[in-house]
Amino acid sequence: MRVLVAMSGGVDSSVAAALLKEAGHDVVGATLKLWGGASDSGCCSVSDVDDARRVAHSLDIDHHIFNYTSEFEAAVVKPFVEDHAAGLTPNPCIECNRAIKFDLLFERAERLGFDAVATGHHALVESWNGQPTLTRSVDPLKDQSYVLGYIQGPILRRLMLPIGGMNKEEVRVHAERLNLRTWNKPDSQDVCFIEASRGREEFLGQRIELTSAEVFDRVTQEVVGRVPAAQLVTLGQRRGIAPGFDGERRFVASVDLVNRRVEVDRIEAIMVSAIALRPDSLTFAYDEVPNGTRVIVQWSAHGRPVSATLETSDAPRLILDESARPVSAGQSVVFYDAETGRHVLGAAQVGR
Amino acid sequence: MSEQSFYFDHGAGAPRLDEVAEAMVPWQHGVVGNPSGMHSASRAARRAIEDARDIVANFVGQPSHEVIFTGGGTESCHLAISGVVREHRQHHEVSDIIISPTEHHAVLNTALALADEFDDVRVRFLDVDDLGIVTTSSLWDNVGPNTAIVSVMTVNNETGVYQPIPVVGSVTAGGVPDGGISHTDAVAAAPWLYLPALTESIDMISIAAHKIGGPVNSGALVLRREIKLSPVSVGGGQERGHRGGTVDVAAAVGLAAACRVVDRERMEVNERVSALRARLEAALRYIPGVAITATEETRVPGCTHLTVEGLASEELLFLLDNAGIAASAGASCSSGASVVSHVLQAMKMPDDKARGALRFTMGRETTKEDVDQLIAVFADVVYRLRGEK
Repeated sequence: MRVLVAMSGGVDSSVAAALLKEAGHDVVGATLKLWGGASDSGCCSVSDVDDARRVAHSLDIDHHIFNYTSEFEAAVVKPFVEDHAAGLTPNPCIECNRAIKFDLLFERAERLGFDAVATGHHALVESWNGQPTLTRSVDPLKDQSYVLGYIQGPILRRLMLPIGGMNKEEVRVHAERLNLRTWNKPDSQDVCFIEASRGREEFLGQRIELTSAEVFDRVTQEVVGRVPAAQLVTLGQRRGIAPGFDGERRFVASVDLVNRRVEVDRIEAIMVSAIALRPDSLTFAYDEVPNGTRVIVQWSAHGRPVSATLETSDAPRLILDESARPVSAGQSVVFYDAETGRHVLGAAQVGR
Repeated sequence: MSEQSFYFDHGAGAPRLDEVAEAMVPWQHGVVGNPSGMHSASRAARRAIEDARDIVANFVGQPSHEVIFTGGGTESCHLAISGVVREHRQHHEVSDIIISPTEHHAVLNTALALADEFDDVRVRFLDVDDLGIVTTSSLWDNVGPNTAIVSVMTVNNETGVYQPIPVVGSVTAGGVPDGGISHTDAVAAAPWLYLPALTESIDMISIAAHKIGGPVNSGALVLRREIKLSPVSVGGGQERGHRGGTVDVAAAVGLAAACRVVDRERMEVNERVSALRARLEAALRYIPGVAITATEETRVPGCTHLTVEGLASEELLFLLDNAGIAASAGASCSSGASVVSHVLQAMKMPDDKARGALRFTMGRETTKEDVDQLIAVFADVVYRLRGEK
């Protein structure tokens, strides 16, 4: 098969390209240039492109650079900023996967005559119920099925994830065996367009007006503190929130941007047993599941999976089997099959 | 992947001429004298360099012009602008650098870096029309007593469009009293134009060897003797104090050899390539959505810049490359990604149109068969990307 491999310059996609080549495929590498501004993490810098190119050379495969900076700005960065301004908590990596990697790149690959696209994500495409299905990686610590949760059938049929069947150690062993220069490169962690040294607050502060807010104890209605940027406060957050008068920890119970008010409370008081979902955001790999389907859900990249019932009515929501800290609007929830816990059924965004 | 290749990227680098390679051979192995030394090997090297200097002076300027050998076009432009501005600001309160917004990054970024470094240095951009040609009125409006240097390229490297260099010369050389020093980046013009016709009124000219069949990392700044430049690197004072460091004999000899070939063949190559371009463009115009950027009489024979409606350069280049056609989008960034060109932006071309930009550049080696192959492949690629094939 003729396969286009998205190569970030990291070890995972380097090994993915190498294994496909070893398996006899006609492999071409492409590095996506996504972010045009300053960055010190992630996968957009000249040195990462250089790594990808040099790995491709060592594998004797062609390598290209695809510039998606304007599309990335429009589909990922701008919504990221606007969502924060509207008090939502977006996940830009999920948006990038949905709008760029598993949409524009696939369209391009088809026009350029490729049969499949591969990435170095830690996840699998397994045949399940007769259909190619996004599946958790065998390495639970590295599993990235969450950030791929919105991928649908037509894309899954042309997607190859060569390293989802191995753990990180095995990936590195392959990289070392193949003498890939990226074999000991650290994993990227942060949002690629935000400099770790400067942070989210500075990035957003240059684009929107961040508003400070007073922190109230929800029970006593007394002011107990202050936060410099209410747009960056997430429901259930504890970091930066002082303990209450009783010495017990306090957690964010509500954020009101208009009235510049953050309320905090004790953990047991903020726990929720249902999560509302934005109706227009419900996405399934194949057919929509029936109302009341039992699922396992996860709402952050490495969050703990929780059993729930998915209600797909006009006001869709998840009824959790056990209560949890509240989830901010804008975050994504991925649904896994209740029996296997590994197969992705679909995803949705948390509503207000 | 196609076995045969068809080269339409002369603008990025012309094929190395046999005559150049042969001329360089004696200076690329064994004892190559350091031209600054005292013994016979050094004297031989020195002589080769001075002979090369004469050839380059005649190719670009006048026999009496000074020739400074450099490490290529970018360095030549940098030496010209930085050298003049650093000298100018010692005697003036404000130093203006006047450039067109369509200059190569060699000029553009040098100017911006100087303005960044010194509070008393300013960059003023000339107005350009929708072909990227600087307007005469903006030259008269911008050049004045604070002008350190006016730098306008002879021919644009992306579009192939000529700039009104004689007008630049007449404004700076007497048109405006104390109107500054004029420089032209003639790198893209050198394969096509008889440059001495321009140098009567222009003070400094930059060229690069690899655009005319010479080696990369070899170029020259050719200038009037009376012009004072602050050196870019001091070192041992080589190149009359303008560029310290041992002179590369092979690079200088290679540049001169390339100049000799271009001078000898210019008329014939211009005529032949003009005919090839007419053949190419007549065919390309039949493809719906293909717009050739500039009219024939406004640009050099070897350059066809066009846009393809609704398609992206990256995808066009990918499939052209698969079919053995080497071409370019005209602009790329340091990572190698193609970007919307600042030249097209200055011409006020909408971004979505500029995203489909392609540049086919030809030269003395281009044949009718090459052109016919390009026509066939290009049409196929465009229809395929549009899903019509």
